[in-house]
Amino acid sequence: MSKAYSRFLTALFCLFLGGLLVWHVLLPDRDRSEVENRTLTQLPEFSWESLKDGSYTAAVEEYFADQFPLRDEWTGLKARTEQLLGKTLFNGVFLCGDTLISQVPAPENGQMEKNLSYIQRLPEKVSVPVYLGIIPSAAEVWKDKLPAGAQSWDQTQLLEAAEETGLPTIDFHTPLTLHAQEPIFYRTDHHWTTLGAFYGANALLESLGMEPLNQEDYTPQVVSESFNGTLYSTSGIHWLTPDTIEYWVPEDGLTVTSWRTGEAAPGMLYDRSYLEHKDQYSSFLGGNQPLCVIENENLPDGDRILLVRDSYSDALAPFLAQRFSQVHLVDLRYYRMPLAQYVAEHDIDAVCVVYSAQNFLTDRDLVMLTQ
Amino acid sequence: MVFSSLTFLFAYLPVTLAVYFLAPLRWRNLVLLLVSLFFYGWGEPVYIVIMFVSIFIDYTHGLLVEKYRSNDRKARWFVGQSIVFNLLLLGFFKYGTFFAENLYLLTGISIPEQVTLWEGFTIPLLNIPLPIGISFYTFQTMSYTIDVYRGDAPVQRSIVKFGTFVTMFPQLIAGPIVQYKTVAKELDHRVNTTEDFALGARRFTVGLAKKVLLANAIGALWEECLAAQSAGTLSVVSGWLGLFAYGFQIYFDFSGYSDMAIGLGQIFGFRFLENFRYPYLASSVSEFWRRWHMSLTGWFRDYLYIPLGGNRCGAAKTVRNIFIVWFCTGFWHGASWNFVIWGLYFFCWLMLEKYLLRNVLEHTHSAVKHLYTVIVVFVGWGIFAMEDLGVCGAYLKACFGGAALWSGADWFRLRNYGVLFIVLILASTTLGRDGWQRLPKRAQQVLTPVLMVLSLVLSTAYLVDGSYNPFLYFRF
Repeated sequence: MSKAYSRFLTALFCLFLGGLLVWHVLLPDRDRSEVENRTLTQLPEFSWESLKDGSYTAAVEEYFADQFPLRDEWTGLKARTEQLLGKTLFNGVFLCGDTLISQVPAPENGQMEKNLSYIQRLPEKVSVPVYLGIIPSAAEVWKDKLPAGAQSWDQTQLLEAAEETGLPTIDFHTPLTLHAQEPIFYRTDHHWTTLGAFYGANALLESLGMEPLNQEDYTPQVVSESFNGTLYSTSGIHWLTPDTIEYWVPEDGLTVTSWRTGEAAPGMLYDRSYLEHKDQYSSFLGGNQPLCVIENENLPDGDRILLVRDSYSDALAPFLAQRFSQVHLVDLRYYRMPLAQYVAEHDIDAVCVVYSAQNFLTDRDLVMLTQ
Repeated sequence: MVFSSLTFLFAYLPVTLAVYFLAPLRWRNLVLLLVSLFFYGWGEPVYIVIMFVSIFIDYTHGLLVEKYRSNDRKARWFVGQSIVFNLLLLGFFKYGTFFAENLYLLTGISIPEQVTLWEGFTIPLLNIPLPIGISFYTFQTMSYTIDVYRGDAPVQRSIVKFGTFVTMFPQLIAGPIVQYKTVAKELDHRVNTTEDFALGARRFTVGLAKKVLLANAIGALWEECLAAQSAGTLSVVSGWLGLFAYGFQIYFDFSGYSDMAIGLGQIFGFRFLENFRYPYLASSVSEFWRRWHMSLTGWFRDYLYIPLGGNRCGAAKTVRNIFIVWFCTGFWHGASWNFVIWGLYFFCWLMLEKYLLRNVLEHTHSAVKHLYTVIVVFVGWGIFAMEDLGVCGAYLKACFGGAALWSGADWFRLRNYGVLFIVLILASTTLGRDGWQRLPKRAQQVLTPVLMVLSLVLSTAYLVDGSYNPFLYFRF
């Protein structure tokens, strides 16, 4: 190797390592990552205690990785490389043509049975009918789209176990499978689309013996064509066409109240400010909150329903508000009061526990129903 | 800290290189010692103490052996002390819990979790986290005192230089096992040239790519097959896919780590001996072991097999010596019975080859010999990888026909990992090296920087994505 060439290689190596270090140092630290939808680790504070037990150095490593320059671009590059190698599974997300589908892992031992038993005991506490509805995920409804031989836990086991609880169930599986050819799930996000939620709402109404909604009554309003969802983030696959978000139910006549801080505050059926951000699905009802109530002024004498729910119900609730005078949405991750008391105080007519299969299998908060 | 982490690559390494090369020549050993201690303390700060004690004891014992060179009885006594100290260190930190568990199973005597020596001072006895690299540096320091005694290595009078040898971060935590005599001259006087830096950087990049792009990627398949085993869905095909995945993972992980160590050593002006020589090309089990982890097999040969008498004391003693060496080789890899069984498994095959198969193998087609070696070695990896002997037995039973031949999931696995397998197989052969050497000089010069940057960029991408970056050698 000639001296000049050695110098060239040496410089190249040092510039790559040192260059990224300088970039890292100069780059202002970010508080959160929009793409990953989480807060990023900040530079930890030094203490001898944390050094001694090893937590300081671990936190520094986490900080260094979280604040690394071009984080999202590196992840995208990895996904592209893996695609070239013929991979179809990216960090637990299957790439199925133009669609991303989340792989459902087998539930942890006993978690599913435990969660079902908590709900099974709910009728002992509340005096109104309790319904159980499990929304199968795309891995079940769209299993024909999965790559050949792809392994995903069979969600029909959960649906059957839900039947066996003896509670009246809401059958989301049949209508979703019937309409599997339509865009009922987002291609880059794990949620159902407004169309999927519409079919879901009718499934729920039917189970409760109520009049279904009529699709012709709605004029879908396209509010975004740039939605890159959660699967876009976890998979690193950034090259698919973004999803479209539609609003179907008009806001007129519906009053939303949100309890985000423990106090009642006016909410929004659609918080359009989220459409400017990455997490556009949160524009439905403005995202996560402990408790949310939608009142329909045009149906003052209708029934009142309470949903124990996950984020799938954000898209579902506007439809339900068409048939109920009040829709109460309780998220057990944040809502910690006894449910029976709430049901009595607010004159609720029916309780529906509505979860997506994947959330249900991993949920650790349903135990709150037993208090 | 591990080499394949963002913190090492983009913070520790550039800063260390800058400090080292800006320091005047006579300070460079001290700089290397300090940055290595920092490197070691990063994972378990408290364990720096062990490092200091280890350096101090072996340093003084080297001097004592030298001092009593004319008095062989005393010199032997100090060599013995150093060996006992190192083995105790290893025994306490690495094997303590294992010994206690087996003692309990055999005799019912249970060792307490911890003892309180006096008020407020308690030392744990069991379930102590393993100080990283302890298996490597205890062997290195043992070889130092023995070599000083044998006159194979000069005594080191500077504690800074000796400390630099023991802690030198490139080889500290995953080898190769560097014998003192091979770097003695470079500790006292070494030349840093730009060419060494460039070659070292190139070697480091190759190792990084092997570890991050190949080993980690195929490791995910092994995890998947292991999960299939526990779910009861393992087929014959996926069983073997899993064994091959693990075998490739450990080879590219370990040899990648050795490449990085050798490359970093060269950057700092040290020549470490090679640790791997295309082991999967071997056409017999004994040849495999002449190509795999050569610094370890060499160590056991020089400091255990030959002192025991080697093959010069008759057939019975030779078999005994080989048995001892393979028992220790297995046990060195981890404090668990499966590693012992793994070592003895190879003892059996080596004995078979030495006494029974020798003539058969001589008249066998090389492709068949190669296939035989590959099967023996990869089944061995199964024993190595599965600590729970029940799981291990069930897994291997499935591989040999105790399960359905094929399942739908295998198609998915083949599709997802097929290309990677082809890359791994090619990378295990000399094809790449031979092809490279046949390229015209000009093409090599153009391709080297391109491939280096490509490897660095892709490795960075994989590390940032990094949900999957386990460190395989935590047991060593």
